[in-house]
Parts: sequence; C-alpha cells; structure tokens
Amino acid sequence: MDYLSEGLIRAFVLLFSGDAETFSAVFTTLKASTMSMMASLVLGIPAGFLLGYFDFSGKRQIRAIVDTLLALPTVVVGLFVYALISRRGPFGDFGLLFTIPGIAIAQTILVLPIIISLTATAIEGLDRRLKITLLALGARGRQIAMTSLLEARYAVLIAAVTAYGRAISEVGVSMMIGGNIKWHSRTITTAIALETGKGEFAMGIALGIVLLSLAFAVNFILITLKRKS
Amino acid sequence: MKRALKIYLRSLWVIVCVIGIATAALSAEKVLRMATTTSTDNTGLLDYLAPHFKADTGIELQWVAIGTGKALELGKNCDVDVLLVHAPAAEMKYVQEGYGVDRRQIMYNDFVFIGPKNDPAGVKGKSVTETLQTFVAHKVSFASRGDNSGTNKKELLLWKNAGMAVPDKESWYLQTGQGMLNTITIAAERDAYTMTDRGTYIKYAANWKGDPPLVILVEGDASLRNQYSVLAVNPTRCSNAKHDLAGQFSAWMALPATQKSIGEFKLLGKQLFIPNADEK
Amino acid sequence: MSPGQIYTLENLIYSYDGTFTLRIPEFTIPRGASIGMVGPNGGGKSTLLRLLAFLEAPDDGTMYFDGVRVDPADASPRKHVTILLQEPYLLKRTVFENVAYGLKVRNQRTHLAARVHEALSIVGLPPADFAHRRWYALSGGEAQRVSLAARLVLRPKVLILDEPTASVDQQSAFLIKEAITTMRTTFETTLIIASHDLIWLNSVTEQIYKIYDGCIVGYAAENLIDGPWVHDDDGLARRILPDGQRIFTATPPARETATALLNPSDIMLALEKPAGLSARNILRGSITHMTMENMSDKMLVVVDVGTLNLTSRITREAAESLQLLPGTSVLTIFKASALHWQ
Repeated sequence: MDYLSEGLIRAFVLLFSGDAETFSAVFTTLKASTMSMMASLVLGIPAGFLLGYFDFSGKRQIRAIVDTLLALPTVVVGLFVYALISRRGPFGDFGLLFTIPGIAIAQTILVLPIIISLTATAIEGLDRRLKITLLALGARGRQIAMTSLLEARYAVLIAAVTAYGRAISEVGVSMMIGGNIKWHSRTITTAIALETGKGEFAMGIALGIVLLSLAFAVNFILITLKRKS
Repeated sequence: MKRALKIYLRSLWVIVCVIGIATAALSAEKVLRMATTTSTDNTGLLDYLAPHFKADTGIELQWVAIGTGKALELGKNCDVDVLLVHAPAAEMKYVQEGYGVDRRQIMYNDFVFIGPKNDPAGVKGKSVTETLQTFVAHKVSFASRGDNSGTNKKELLLWKNAGMAVPDKESWYLQTGQGMLNTITIAAERDAYTMTDRGTYIKYAANWKGDPPLVILVEGDASLRNQYSVLAVNPTRCSNAKHDLAGQFSAWMALPATQKSIGEFKLLGKQLFIPNADEK
Repeated sequence: MSPGQIYTLENLIYSYDGTFTLRIPEFTIPRGASIGMVGPNGGGKSTLLRLLAFLEAPDDGTMYFDGVRVDPADASPRKHVTILLQEPYLLKRTVFENVAYGLKVRNQRTHLAARVHEALSIVGLPPADFAHRRWYALSGGEAQRVSLAARLVLRPKVLILDEPTASVDQQSAFLIKEAITTMRTTFETTLIIASHDLIWLNSVTEQIYKIYDGCIVGYAAENLIDGPWVHDDDGLARRILPDGQRIFTATPPARETATALLNPSDIMLALEKPAGLSARNILRGSITHMTMENMSDKMLVVVDVGTLNLTSRITREAAESLQLLPGTSVLTIFKASALHWQ
C-alpha cells in the first residue's frame, strides 16, 4: 500500500513542478477529447434530434442499433478504425494513424452513440404539452423543431458531458490508434497504462489524479446543469 | 424529415473532407516512424539515442512500442517506416517475403531465466535444456509471454531446440499474453519461473531497490542471445515509406560513435546492450 | 351560415381510436360570444376544443371559420385561434420571452416590449416584477397567467380555454376572469371555455353547453345559488340577498354553504304579482340580457336579482307579450321546491 501514499506525494510534485511529460499527456488528452467532442456533438445532436423527433418506419430498429452501440468495447472500435486508417486501409493516405486527429476520430465513433441516444431520449422526453403550446402560439414545422431542441437543451448538455467523461477516460482506442508515442500521442490514460506496466506506480497515480480532477470538473458541471433542468 | 436528413449528411461529408485536408498538412516535417518492442522502449535506450539522432541528422524519431508481432504487422500495413525488433528468425522470413529490406544487426543483449530466490526447482547454473527438462519433470510453475513477441519467439525456439513440445496445455505453464514486466510481476505473484531479457530484469530489480523476489538463475548460454536489428519497410510495397530516412537511421545506428554510446548506455548502473553492427 | 358566426359546424364527425366518436350535426358560435362547455371527462369536451383550435381535423363534416370554409391542409385559421391548456406549461425561458414567443414566431417585433408588458398587466402580473423571472420561479397560478398573457398578446379572434382555473389559486382564477373579460370587451375576442367549476363558468359565460357521450346534449343554463343558507322555523331554509329579498327552499341543505340549483324553466316572469300564486319565491329584479337558446328555440332571460343573476327560460311569445327588454323591471317567480341540491 505504500506506493499509494508515495504516489500521492509524487503526484503533487509532478503537477506543481510542471513536469513536462505529465503536462504533455494532459494536453494531448485535452486536444483529442475536445476534437472528438466537437465532432460528435456536431454529428450526434442533429442525428439524435431526427431520431427522437420524427416518426418513420424502422425508427425502433435504428434506435435499438444505436443503443446497442453504447456497449461497443473500445478495443473493437480501435481495431475497426485501425483497419480504416492504416496505410493499407481505404483512408490510409490521410496519414491519420498515430496522430491526435486519428485518436479523435476513433473516440468520436465511440462517443457518438452516447450523444445520439441521449439526445433522442431528451427529445422524446419533452413534455407532450410543448408541441400543443407551440402550435397554440402559432409556430409551424421548422419553428416547432428548433424550439423543441432548445427546450431540451439541458438534457442534451448532460449527454455531452457524459460523452466527454467517456472520451477522456478511455484507453483502448487511444492506445491502438495513437500508438502512445511520447510527446506526440501519449494521452493521460495511455501514459498510465505504460507507467504501471513499467512499474512506475507513482507516475501512474499522479496521472490518475489529474484524470480524476478532469472527470470531477466534468461531473461538477453535470450537477450544476441537472439542478437547472 | 428528408430535407433535414439531406442537410445532415451533407455536413457530415464536409467534416470528413476538412479532417482529411487538415491531417494531410500534418505529415510534412522530417519525421521517421518506427515500430519497436515494449521491452526495447522500457530500457530507455531510445529516449537516450533519439535526441542525438535528431542533432546529427535533423530527423525526428517517433516510435510506437508494442509486441514484436504487432510491430511486424504495422510494417506489413505500411503504417511505419522502419522496425527495430529482436526476432531474427521472423525477421529473415519477413525479408524473404518482401515486407522488409536492408536488415542490419545493431546490438544484442541476452535472456535470462529467473525464479524465486530459494530456487525450489534447483535449476541454478544448469544449461537451458536441463532447465526446461526440470520444469516439465516437476511441473514447475513457469510464466510465458504467450504473445508472439520477440521474447516469446525466443522461448518457443528454446523448447524446440531442446527437442521438447511447448507445454501449451499444462496447468503450470502460465501464458500471460502481456508485456515482459507484467509477466515478471505475475511470475513473482505465483512464485513461478520465467524467461526475460536482461534489460527488463534490471529495471524490475531496481523497482525492488535491488532485492527482488525473483533472481537470475540461468544465464550465459549461447542460445540465450537476444539480437536486435533494424529493418526498413519495403518501399516497393509501401510507396509512402520514408525509405531514405530509414536508411539514415540504420546507418547512424551502426556508426562507431553510436555503437560506443549504445555500449555505454547503462540501466541503473549496469550495461545493457553489446553493440555488434560490425559482427560477421 | 351568417356573418355573425365565428364558427359553424355541420355534420361533424370525429372518431378517436375507433371507440369514441364525436358527432355534431349542427353547432354555431357567434362572434364575440363567451360560451362554456361542461360534461364528464371522456365525453368529448377536450376533443371538441381541439377541433375548434384546429389541432385536429374532423373525419367528416364541414367547419366554417369566420365565414370561410376550413380546409384541413390550410394552416391559416390557426393564426387566429389560440388554446390555453389545463396545466400551466411554459417554455424554459424568462416570463418576457415566454410572452414574446408568439409574436416573434409571427415576426411581429414592433413595440415588442410594450405589448408584452401590456399583456402582463392585463393578467395582473406587474412587468417590473415579473418580466425577468425564470420559468421555475412562479406559482401555478402565476404560470397559468403568464401562459394566458402569451396568448392575449397575439390578439386572437378566438381564445379557447380548457379548465383554466383547475390548477390555480382563487386570486389567479379571478384575475384570469378579469383578463379574458377585458379581451372580450376590448377586442371582441370570442371565448370558448371548458370547466368543471360551474360557478366560475357561469360568471364568465353567457351560454353553457353540455357535452356528453360525443354529443352536445343541451345547455347547462342552470342557476346556481350559493349560501349562506339559514334555517327557518317553519322547516324551510332561506338565503338573504344583499338588497334584503329572500329566497326560500323547501328542503334544507346539508351545509350552510351549499349551492342550490334552479332550472331556468322553473322560473316564471311577470311584470306584476299575479293573483292566486302558490310559489313561495317572488323576487324583483331587472333584466340584464336576453338570448336565444339555440337548442330549444326558447329565450333565456337573465335577471339581476339583488346582484344575483337568475336565468329564466321562457318562450319568445311570452317575452313579446310581456314586452320584455333589457332593463325592464320584472318579478321572478319560482317554487321553494324548485330548488335542488348538487
């Protein structure tokens, strides 16, 4: 157990001395997860809205597929994306493997089902009286759709925050697609995996604490938003 | 609904194109991508050499540290430009099959058998063949990498050379499927023996401040040599492979000055590699 | 269909889920009227309101709105009709934004703030206090009034209210009544109100229809006379009106504060007290208004008796022979036994 306390002390030392490796990992994580969040929000919110708002044949089946994708193992996503962006793959010429954008793409795939599913749920969870109220006030088709999305904004924000938590804490995809290259594609999570594999538990714990702080910040926002809705 | 879907799909396509353009711009500088093994990376040799390489040639070395099998696979898929691995038989087959070119041996270290301090199986000082026979005869717990890595391939070769079948299904033969340090840790937990490269063992011993539960019991056997070589990914197969940069790296590793540095590289006060680019 | 009618329904049929059907052979609503609807839940009240609000289209039959035949594909009648739901529902934004929403949707942004403030004042919510409140910082009654303001600001031709006072406090109920009455008198807004609160409804509407089992079965122009009822020595109970007149009932109520019902058909009108009358209640009042009752082709005469409005149902001939006009002083005559309890 004393590597835990040793690790805790080491953690504070690393963080407050501005250790280059540590902060490199932190910024890599932030870069990748922010990119993946932007992409998944831009793609996922409209998709989730379409899925939740309209009625069409096959809606339930598509919803079932999306919900199943929520359980995608990260390693599977990693393999899938590797097959796509490897030099041998269809998108090989973009040179995305072992880059931060590559990680971001894989994380987006991982996180997209969360956004789509939770947004669809948020839209479906809108009070039935909303539509009647909007009709009563004279809104038509597109206006009703836009206002409905706006009304669901808190639930959608919670979806985003949930997805962000998943993105920053995942390791399988970052490892496989990022390659854990020092200074370039080493994220907090892959660094933890590496350091603990090397027996450097103190460093591992330090990075773990940083990750937890990030996750805590995320959850803090979640709590504040939940109260508002 | 249909119109909304169309707008959505169109924006999707735009985003994909933007990403493509953005990343195309990224691969401009002089960067050499290498695949190597976790045990190599864990020694810290590359961290030590890379800045010198950059100073001498202006090339930035980036490496992915994974198992040997995966490293070779990356080379096949043209995802890296050069390989630094230690699995001679596999490497030669690789070159034969046209995946790699310009194989150059650079340095070696050795493998050792380690086991519990009190050596319950009594293999200390024995030859490799005798040691393996003892394990089988007494069903001694033994941890194997079981992951197609260079180390793993060496271990399997040792079984073959001793004229014995790999005890794949035996309950005392623990196939961890993980990296060297993890495998050693598992062996320590189970009071088992294992075979490791010296470099990883030195690191492991240092973590225990010089008094680890597992100690070196069998070493020095000629068959335990662990040869490291550099291979360039075949440019004919991989048009994007930076073959000239790979060549510069290979040549640089064989330079007398670099070879001397490799010999002087100490892991926790102990020499780890013996340079042999000029051998044979 | 005459120009005075804002709604004319002919042979309207609406089927819900295949089990319940609303059938209305003929129904009109005059412009600027205030009509009420009563009836048990599931009887068709809400359905009819939704049809009138153009939230649903009938399965069969014709609707005319403001003289023009309604085409289900055409959404334009909806601009002039707005419905207020039973439970207050606001958008997740400030009070001001909620009230302004309808105007913004129609792109009517001129004098936006002034109009919003005016609407808030009409419902008794001072803008300085309330305009910036967020949707969760309001009581049920306040929220419902904001919802009402959001509709009033649109100056609709028709305002439909479904149980407007069901979820609100007394003061809000009063203010809502004030607001919609102002709408009616100032802008000639037609009011269609469904409510279980008969007393409130009676004070706001001129005509109440009963909907039961998918049909408009008549009108509920029942008179409601509330307490306090005081027991008399001779076995009767009486209610003393502000001007000193008394109403007697044969069967005493269970509670002092009970409400008595009196069928308009049981009230006779006369200019002078007739001879040989057995009725116990003879009260003088003045006629406030008279309407034709569509269903029965009779006249409903509303008489202000010591501030209590009593509605009497008489034939047109009787009205003509008595030369009744609004303002005429008449006697309302009814038996003590005519009053029954809810």
